[in-house]
Amino acid sequence: MKFIAVREALILIALACLPAIGEGIYFRDKISWQSPIPASELVAVDQAKAWGDGAIWVDARPDDEFAQDHVPGAFSLNEDHWNELLPQFLPNWSPDKKVVIYCSAASCNAARDVAKRLRDEAQLRDVFVLQGGWEEWVKKSK
Amino acid sequence: MKYAWRIVDLIVGGIFVYAGVSKVLDPAQFANDIDNYKTLPWFVSVRLAFYLPWLEIFCGLAVIFRFFYRGGLSILTALIAVFIGATVAAKMRGLDITCGCFGHVSKNWNFSTHLVLDFAIFAAVLALSFGNSRHRVEL
Repeated sequence: MKFIAVREALILIALACLPAIGEGIYFRDKISWQSPIPASELVAVDQAKAWGDGAIWVDARPDDEFAQDHVPGAFSLNEDHWNELLPQFLPNWSPDKKVVIYCSAASCNAARDVAKRLRDEAQLRDVFVLQGGWEEWVKKSK
Repeated sequence: MKYAWRIVDLIVGGIFVYAGVSKVLDPAQFANDIDNYKTLPWFVSVRLAFYLPWLEIFCGLAVIFRFFYRGGLSILTALIAVFIGATVAAKMRGLDITCGCFGHVSKNWNFSTHLVLDFAIFAAVLALSFGNSRHRVEL
């Protein structure tokens, strides 16, 4: 009985590979395979600073971390209070400005998630995630 | 009694087929959901995001149609056990995550809801694996 279960399981595992490979081929140019954020959607601290007034900074960290300190002029926009914060942010956006989003560090996902929602839900273009996040900004600003 | 087991077959199989289909449609989102657990490197997460939904669909169909039934149940038992473990571990590490188990439908579920549903499914799969063997329905 156990042998039958193992044999059936192995066949199912192998069968599931076929459509997965097909789907992977279909999506090969639509997904980032090596990094959660495609290189074209990342911006280094120095580059973002060089944009000057052409950039709007968005802080995707929780409210308490934003209250402690943040990039000067940054808007708080996190997923905990998305519905309240988004209407406050949007009037400050204009099509000629680049949006730079950051969260705590390189390992956090909040900036990536906020960037995705701004692109998908608010239809914003030129939305970038800051490489290294807040930690990197502090390091480069010393 | 055998018809009661058959209904459980259909419910459990249907849940996994639905879960798989909801994730097949948006592999990038599912890759992000896996990545949020912070246990696997991205290149593994993204490949699993393409593979796991199809495995769920095939195993769900196996349970529904009783074709490779034992193998399907074994895999589903392992999948749900790993998922419960990963969810609890993530919570203990202080990660605030969405499970992504049912695509957008589960995006706003809290930890307790995840866990209750996971254990209910786990119990149903175990019941099918061990209890159902005495009430096999011949199709």
